Amino acid sequence: MKIALVGQPNSGKSTIFNSVAGYKSVTSNLAGTTVKFTRSRVRLNGNVYDLVDLPGTYSLSFSNEAEAEVSKYLLSEKFDLIINVIDASQLGRSLPLTLELLELNIPVLIALNMYDEAIRKGISIDVEKISRILGIRVQKTIASKNQGVRELFILAKEMIEKGQPSERPLIKCQRDVEEVIAEMESFIKENYSHPIAYPTRFMAIKLLEDDEFYRQQFFQQNGGVLSKKVEQLQRKLVELRGKPQDSIMLLERHSMAMEIYHETVQLGIPHKDWREKVDDFLMHRIGGYLVLLLVLLSLFYGVFQLGSFLEKILLNEFSSLEHILALYFKQNGLTFHILKSLIWGISGGIAIVLPYLLPFLIGLNVLEDIGYLPRVAFLMDAFMHKIGLHGTAIIPAVLGYGCNVPAVMATRILPSRRDKIIAAVIASMIPCSARSIVILGLVAFYLGPLWAFAVYVLNIFIIAISGKVLSHLLPEVTPGMILEIPSYRWPALRVIGLKTWFRIKEFLLYAWPLLIIGSLILGLMEFFELDRLINSVLFPLTSLLGLPAVIGTTLIFGVLRKELALIMLTQALGTTEILTVLTSLQVFTFTIFITFYIPCLATMAVLSRELGYKIMLNIVLFTLTLAIILSVIVNQAGHLFF
Amino acid sequence: MKSLLDIPAYKTVKIVNITGGKGSRRQLAQLGIGVGSTITIKRNAPFAGPLLIDNHGSSIAIGRGVAAKIMVEEV
Repeated sequence: MKIALVGQPNSGKSTIFNSVAGYKSVTSNLAGTTVKFTRSRVRLNGNVYDLVDLPGTYSLSFSNEAEAEVSKYLLSEKFDLIINVIDASQLGRSLPLTLELLELNIPVLIALNMYDEAIRKGISIDVEKISRILGIRVQKTIASKNQGVRELFILAKEMIEKGQPSERPLIKCQRDVEEVIAEMESFIKENYSHPIAYPTRFMAIKLLEDDEFYRQQFFQQNGGVLSKKVEQLQRKLVELRGKPQDSIMLLERHSMAMEIYHETVQLGIPHKDWREKVDDFLMHRIGGYLVLLLVLLSLFYGVFQLGSFLEKILLNEFSSLEHILALYFKQNGLTFHILKSLIWGISGGIAIVLPYLLPFLIGLNVLEDIGYLPRVAFLMDAFMHKIGLHGTAIIPAVLGYGCNVPAVMATRILPSRRDKIIAAVIASMIPCSARSIVILGLVAFYLGPLWAFAVYVLNIFIIAISGKVLSHLLPEVTPGMILEIPSYRWPALRVIGLKTWFRIKEFLLYAWPLLIIGSLILGLMEFFELDRLINSVLFPLTSLLGLPAVIGTTLIFGVLRKELALIMLTQALGTTEILTVLTSLQVFTFTIFITFYIPCLATMAVLSRELGYKIMLNIVLFTLTLAIILSVIVNQAGHLFF
Repeated sequence: MKSLLDIPAYKTVKIVNITGGKGSRRQLAQLGIGVGSTITIKRNAPFAGPLLIDNHGSSIAIGRGVAAKIMVEEV
C-alpha cells in the first residue's frame, strides 16, 4: 500500500511525514526544502504502509525541475492514496493543485494543515462544505503540534481499505471552457483507442495547457493530426478568454478554486499580527540590511565564542589522555602510534568539530524555521542582479553555509539551467559548516575573530566576482524573481532539536568514522614514512603557498571532508599548539586554500548528478586554480599584515 | 498603460496584461496571479530591490524585471 504526500511548497508535508515516520525529512519555513523523495515504511494501527514525502509543487506541470520530478513520479508509480497537504491559511491558492490531483483518478484525502495559522488570520473554514463540494474527505491538522495527524492516518487507512470511492462529482470549469475540454477529450478517445497511460480528461487538459512534457510524450506517438487539433482548440480558448494561451488553464483552475474558497471560507478580523510589523523592519531597505548583517555577525560570533570555549576544555581532556598513553607504551612503537592516531581522530570529532558544528546548526535551523531566508532573498535581489542572477538564487547560497550538498540540490527551484549552473557554482564556493570549522577553529581561534570575519568577507567578494564572470560567459536574460514570502513561524523547540540531531547524526555516522579512519591512515603513513612520499609530490604546491611540506597530506584528506584538513593538520604537525610550529600568515594562507579549493567529495558527486560531470570537472579545476592564486596572493601580500 | 513599477506602495491594482516570457507568466499563474487578478502592493522601494505584493493573503516578492512586464490599472 503506497501513500503519497503531495502539496504546495511549504505546506507542511515533511512535518506530517516526520510525525509518523520519525525525523527523516528535513523541514523548514521555506518553499523548496524537500528536493528529494523520502520514503518510509510506517506502521499504522497494525498495517504497514509505504509513505512517500514528495517535494512541494504548485501544479502537475513541468515548468521547473522540482515540479517535473513530482509529476513524473506521481504519474508513473501506482499510489493507492494521495494525501493532499494544504496550508489552511492559503486555501484559495492551494486548491488548484487539489483540482489537478482529482483528475488523476487516485483517491485523494485532504490534510488541512496549519489550521491554527488560519484561525490566527481570522479565516474560518467550513470543512464539511469543502468535503461535500470536492467529494473527498478532509481532516484538520496542526502537524507542528502533532494535532490531527493520527486521525488523518486513521482516515487514510479507512479509505485504502474501502478501495476506490464511489463516483465523486466531477468539478467542472466554466461551460465554454468545459466544452473545449470535452472536445479534446472525445478527440483523444476516438482517435487513440489504445490505452493511454493517464486519465483521458487529465491528458486533454494538459495538452491544452501546452505543457512541454505532455506534448512531447503524446505527439511523438501520435504525430501531426493531434497537434493540429490541439492548436485549433488552444486558439479557441484564447478567443474565449482573451488571455495568453499558456496561462489560461492555470488561471481557470484558479478561478474555480477561488469560487470554492468564497463558498467555504468566512473572513473575520485577523488577530493583531506582530509579524507584519516585524517585516516593516526586517525587509526595510536600510534597516533590513543592518539586521541581516547583525544576524550573521551574531550567529558567527556566538558560534565562535561557544565553540572555542568548549574546544579548549575538551582538548585539554584529550591531551591528558595522550600523556597517560605515553606512560604505558613505547613512544616509537607501532601500538603507541595507532592508539595515538585513534585518539586524534576521536578527539578531532568531539573536541574540534562538534563544539562549532552544534551551535552553528542550531542557529541555522532556527533561522530556517522562522522563515528568515526568503526575506534574505528579498533583500539580496538587487545585489544578485549585479552578478547576473536574481534573489531566489540566494537561497541555495545561504543553505550552502550549512552544507553544500543540499545547497546544490536546492538550485532546482531555479527555472533556467543557466541560473542553476551559476547558482550551483556559487553554492559550492560558500564555506559550509565543515569549512567554517576550519575558519573558526583555526583562524578565529589562533588569530582572532576579526581575521575569520575577513575570510568570510573575502569569500563573498570572490563569489561576487566569479558570479559576474560566469554570467558574462553564459549571457542569457534571467527571468527574474517570483518568490513566495511565507509568514513567520515561531520555531518549535522539539522540531529544532530533532532537525539538529538529524544533521548531527550525519556527521556522527558518516564523517566522524571517516575522521578516525583518516587519522589512523595518516598515523600509519607517518609510522612507515609514506607521508613523505606524498609530501614530496606536493612539495611544489606547498612551497608555492609558503607552507611547510609536512602538511601536504592534509590537503589531500581535505578533499574527502573539509574538516579532516584541520584534524590532520594538528596530527601532521604533532601538536594542537599550532602557533608554535606555524606562523600566523601560514595559518591564514592554509585556511584560505582550504576554504576555496575543490568542493568535497560529496559535493562533487551531487554537482555531477545535478549538472553533469563535465561541469563538475570544470568547477573542480576552477576552484583549484582560484584557491592557488588566492593563497599565493595572500602569502605574498600577507607580510604587510602579519 | 502603467506597469507595476509605477504604482506606489499600499495601492490595489488590477492586472490588465502580462507581457514577456512564458516562464514568468506560468510561474505567476501558478501563484494565482494573471490577467484580471487584483493585487495589493505592500512594498515598492524605488531604484532598488524587488516589490512585495499581497495576493489573497499570501506575500509574493516580484523582481523589478518581472514587475515591469505586469501592466495594471488602479482600482
